[in-house]
Amino acid sequence: MRKRSIIQMTLVGLAVGAVLAVVALFIPWLPDQGAEQARIVDNVYWFVTIICVAVFAVVAGVSVYAVWKFRAPPGDMDDGSPIHGHTGLEIVWTVIPVILVTAIAVYSSVALAQAEDIPDDHMVVEVSARQFAWTFTYPGVQLEGGRPLTSGELVVPLDEPIEFRITSEDVIHSFWVPEWRMKQDAVQGITTRTVVQPTKLGTFPVVCTELCGLGHATMRSQARVLDEAGYRRWIEEQRRLAAEGASVQGEPLFVANCGSCHTLAEAGTQGQTGPDLDTVLPGQDAESVLQSIVEPNAEISEGFQPDVMPQNYGEMFSEQQLEGLVEYLLEAAGGGE
Amino acid sequence: MAVETREHEEHAVQGPPPRGGRRYLTGAGWLRAAWLAPLAFGLATLLVIGARAALGYSPLWELPVLIAAWTVLVPVAFLAGIGGFDYWAYWISGRPSRPEDHSGHGAHTWKDYFRVNTDHKVIGVQYVVTTIFFFVAAGLMAMFMRAELARPGMQFVDTNTFNGLFSVHASLMIFLFIIPAFAGLGNYVIPLMIGAPDMAFPRLNALSFWLLPIAGFMMLSSYLVPDGGAFSAGWTNYAPLSVVQPDGNLFFQMGVQWAGASSIMTALNFLVTIITMRAPGMSFWRMPLLVWANFATSTLVVIATPFVAGSQFFILFDRVLHTNFFDPAQGGDVIAYQHIFWFYSHPAVYIMMLPGFGIASEVISVFARKPIFGYRLMALSLMAILILGFSVWAHHMFVSGMASWLRIPMMLTTLVIAVPTGIKVFSWLATLWEGRLHFTTPMLFASGFVSMFVIGGLSGIYLGSVPIDIHASDTYFVVAHIHYVLFGGSLFTIFAGIYYWFPKMTGRMYDERLGKVHFWMTFVGFNVTFFPMHWVGLQGMPRRVADYAPEFGTWNLVISIASFALGASTLVFLYNMIVSWRRGLPAPGNPWRALTLEWQVSSPPPIFNFDSIPQVVGSPYEYGVRGARHAVMDGRPVETGRAPEPAEAIHSS
Repeated sequence: MRKRSIIQMTLVGLAVGAVLAVVALFIPWLPDQGAEQARIVDNVYWFVTIICVAVFAVVAGVSVYAVWKFRAPPGDMDDGSPIHGHTGLEIVWTVIPVILVTAIAVYSSVALAQAEDIPDDHMVVEVSARQFAWTFTYPGVQLEGGRPLTSGELVVPLDEPIEFRITSEDVIHSFWVPEWRMKQDAVQGITTRTVVQPTKLGTFPVVCTELCGLGHATMRSQARVLDEAGYRRWIEEQRRLAAEGASVQGEPLFVANCGSCHTLAEAGTQGQTGPDLDTVLPGQDAESVLQSIVEPNAEISEGFQPDVMPQNYGEMFSEQQLEGLVEYLLEAAGGGE
Repeated sequence: MAVETREHEEHAVQGPPPRGGRRYLTGAGWLRAAWLAPLAFGLATLLVIGARAALGYSPLWELPVLIAAWTVLVPVAFLAGIGGFDYWAYWISGRPSRPEDHSGHGAHTWKDYFRVNTDHKVIGVQYVVTTIFFFVAAGLMAMFMRAELARPGMQFVDTNTFNGLFSVHASLMIFLFIIPAFAGLGNYVIPLMIGAPDMAFPRLNALSFWLLPIAGFMMLSSYLVPDGGAFSAGWTNYAPLSVVQPDGNLFFQMGVQWAGASSIMTALNFLVTIITMRAPGMSFWRMPLLVWANFATSTLVVIATPFVAGSQFFILFDRVLHTNFFDPAQGGDVIAYQHIFWFYSHPAVYIMMLPGFGIASEVISVFARKPIFGYRLMALSLMAILILGFSVWAHHMFVSGMASWLRIPMMLTTLVIAVPTGIKVFSWLATLWEGRLHFTTPMLFASGFVSMFVIGGLSGIYLGSVPIDIHASDTYFVVAHIHYVLFGGSLFTIFAGIYYWFPKMTGRMYDERLGKVHFWMTFVGFNVTFFPMHWVGLQGMPRRVADYAPEFGTWNLVISIASFALGASTLVFLYNMIVSWRRGLPAPGNPWRALTLEWQVSSPPPIFNFDSIPQVVGSPYEYGVRGARHAVMDGRPVETGRAPEPAEAIHSS
């Protein structure tokens, strides 16, 4: 009797475990692995998953069996067996979990050390976050005039270990590329760091995951991973653009700084936190466009609130950059018709 | 909805002293509150404007300062108006204080539930009904969110409204529903379970209840703030976002103070009651596990809650007094906020879970007709969780930029907490073994709790591991995890507790068929709503967003549809509760054939709970043990196994 019930219960547990294993294996739970760190993190994930499937199968096996076998018939007035405990069992289900969680903790610690390991001589990208845009600075790439290269999209070479030094100009944001698995908050006043070694070519989303205000959902950029030659070509292209002067800079400047909140068909942006520029821009002159950028509270479009758009673009952008931006916007508004 | 308390000849109830016309305005009650509260509002306004004029500040009308003054003085005036401070005020001022004649005990009409009442049973009902009101309000907000999230892009609300919806939803569910709902059930049941006539401090008990609606309406009224509306920095209210938010945020900071004060007072009351007022013979090792659970919870509340109060005061000071706790440009530290906040808010997870463990233990033991498996280890694991619970807070901050060495020890303690929790789960399962299981509604919810909580616990293991957490934190995976813990865990046990003690509290039986419909709708709706969120989150959808990448559209639509079914299940619950309270079959004293003391008195219990003090002689869970007794009442032993009042009609499963 006892033996039979244990066999039945084991069968139930195995059935549940099999179903769970199918669910765990055949649904693509994790996004593509785009970095060495993703491989390391995913190994921990699968290690924990195996343990959790086993634990849940045991729990489900026992509960399904109990519900099936020990249900009282209607009107039953009897009591169950007066079992008060079993020291052996209690020791077993204390010791086994202790072993399992210790194993998880040790493996996680080792994996964390591996993921964050980086050779002394490595590439650095500075990430600066603000409501609601990302700016990536490459201190290793000097432009004419000694300024380092900055960009609104993140472009990195394949297979190169990169240290990201992250900070914020205002509230807390969080830098995350799901395919890379690494995430790090951007905090005003301190510089945080994370390490990524991209192993897959392609374009991946950069997502802000810490609630940062009204434009949080649209605070996106993209990470492009290029091969060595492509990366070098991109840097040359950036150098060339910077040297050519203002008007060419309008579009990348807009995409990087404004696109996450404003829709503009010409630039292909779809932000919805601020007014749709395809509707409000036509008919405006250079002066009013400039005012809307440096003094956003001066005139608020209907249905929007003051103080949402940063007030510091006047200080952040050089005069040349502002000029280029305004010129680009006027062109974009006119060109749409 | 009136519940008539059964009176006993020896405790004849005295009516309140007769009052004349003027006394009507000055006597404790809603009328006095109705003129005192506006008076305090005016006084606070004058005080702020006067002080600013005297000091030469401009502008005179500074809304943040005014809101801070209003949210302190108006509630105090309201409490004074309804009579929350009467006894103490008389005593302090040297006027003859009315000796406690217990005339305020019991509820004779529905109006008595709207008065300051010192009877723990009335207060318990007040708590449960009030918290269900806020549960429904917060649930409706979730429905609005799911409507917006059904499709990618923006449809119904703007991002400001959406951020307000999830912030108020979480704040109400945590501070005005889960925590006080457990306090309410505990309030009703604990004195009865330990054989006490009332709580240790009945007036403090009444006051702690009346702080709750104040906190709740304060949070709700943030919607009325011009320019910006409700607070929208999430219930975590991280600095510096919360410092630069519109003025609605002040209502969260002050609401938390009132709810927190209520929590602390109740916890102190529970602790003193449990330590000093147990019936003769009720040693700690003979206490029901619900009492143990509330003992552990109350200890957590008393130690941890001041930290959340402090964290919100710092934000308030930064906003109103222009201090710089969290402004790095002035030497402040942004991450300090998170350490203080989580030092409360992680233990708060156990504050929201341990009483549920207690309820599950009571319900499972009674409906399995078996002693709880490993009683002592069950009690000790509660205490282990209480102690370990204080050493894990920084696992919410693995990606925050805190000191990186802190991650490994915090991971270790976080994972170790799985051990006492696992002991509890395995012991509940072992309690089912060779039992005679009656799947009444409370038992369905209790067993649903065990299975759902296991899923929430296991996803907690993922989040406890630093490398996985770096990927999963602040995504929908976390949303799935907290809902498996707080909905599948806390809410399922609250439902189990409400159904289980409904006959005791109201004197009537609920409709078992509707109860089961409610359970299955909830169980299925809950899983279809929250399980896919694990996948959506791991794939890359962050939490707290009104808009998301189109590839998550299909699953979000499924989640939204399921969440509406889940919301509809609440209507079944409300209908069942209201109709059964008015017209349900009269409940016998002990419909579940349970052994604990609350079931050995009539339903609802007499005004002072016990006609004679029970003598406790054994464990509360001796089902199936021939000759074992928990207590002797009126010289009559409380028998195990045999029902004093058989009620077969009730569990016709």
